[in-house]
Amino acid sequence: TRQCLSSGINAEYGGFVNTRSELTARHPLEQSEALYDFNQQKIRLGMANKITGSALPLTIQAERACAARIGRLPGLRSSRLHFEVFAGTDETITIEDVFDTPSPWDEEPQYTRCNNTA
Amino acid sequence: NSTKNQSSGINAEYGGVVLGADTRATGGSIVCDLNCEKIHYIADNVYCCGAGTAADTEFTTKMISSKMELLKLRTGREGRVISALRMLKQYLFRYQGHISAALVLGGVDVNGPALYTVYPHGSTDKLPYVTMGSGSLAAMSVFEDGFKMGMNEEEAKNLVFHAIRAGIVNDLGSGSNVDITVIRKGNVEVFRPYQVVCKKSERAGDYTFPVGTTVVTSSTEMVPFSALTVTDEEVMEIS
Repeated sequence: TRQCLSSGINAEYGGFVNTRSELTARHPLEQSEALYDFNQQKIRLGMANKITGSALPLTIQAERACAARIGRLPGLRSSRLHFEVFAGTDETITIEDVFDTPSPWDEEPQYTRCNNTA
Repeated sequence: NSTKNQSSGINAEYGGVVLGADTRATGGSIVCDLNCEKIHYIADNVYCCGAGTAADTEFTTKMISSKMELLKLRTGREGRVISALRMLKQYLFRYQGHISAALVLGGVDVNGPALYTVYPHGSTDKLPYVTMGSGSLAAMSVFEDGFKMGMNEEEAKNLVFHAIRAGIVNDLGSGSNVDITVIRKGNVEVFRPYQVVCKKSERAGDYTFPVGTTVVTSSTEMVPFSALTVTDEEVMEIS
């Protein structure tokens, strides 16, 4: 899910304020969906840690963290293939590939997903 | 405004799987679709009946069908029913029952015929005969009476037909035709419809007005479009 900054600078709060989370009622799945990738990763690497030891999960996490930072200049779209291989989304189709994809008619530059959990 | 898709998704197992469903889709107490397709394609050897919200079952089965195809391309092997089952189960559990899709999954793979039921919260059962949807009680009663292990294809089709028919006749959420899909090792046969149980009745009264009912006070001749000539063209940019 995209955590968008949806209001302007507010002097009282001393910076940007995310008004959406404070005022509207949240969907019961909003929290679990925002943390879904992170939790799945945690479960899998935790299992690997218990079964095979810490070497494998640590190297995977390190390489995944590097892959998350590979990209083009700020504002340019990137396929993020290296990261997708670690996320496992290169060989499957998920809901993010179907719903709420950037429209080809968007004029502003298309950013990668803000939720960069490495 | 969700269209509730209440199907008597019924299946019997012999050397293959017979899936059956009715064809009524309702929105509240109104019939939205007289002849909708409730038996969805997942893979060449795996089909899925869907009960619950029509959009949810449609989209979920399409999603899992795509995943199965990608998996088939990845492994180079024919898909298995348990793969589809696990994908469905994990997908539905992720959304904690908010996706209202009660599915009956059936197919034949290297491990033989398999029949599963998947509930909206993600729980599954592996059984020789299953029913889902609003007409499931009527259909299950027919199954409980008539099912025996080792039926041949004709007996299985007949039993599934009677079970769906019981749902159509006794349950308001089910109606119209009986669709049956027979999945055998190597091929699939789709009967759509297997039998028409309820046809929409003919309209009893005639509501057409005879010519001359409305008095015409004056009339002007309509100019045909071909008679018009283009005098000026201007290209405008869409801003």
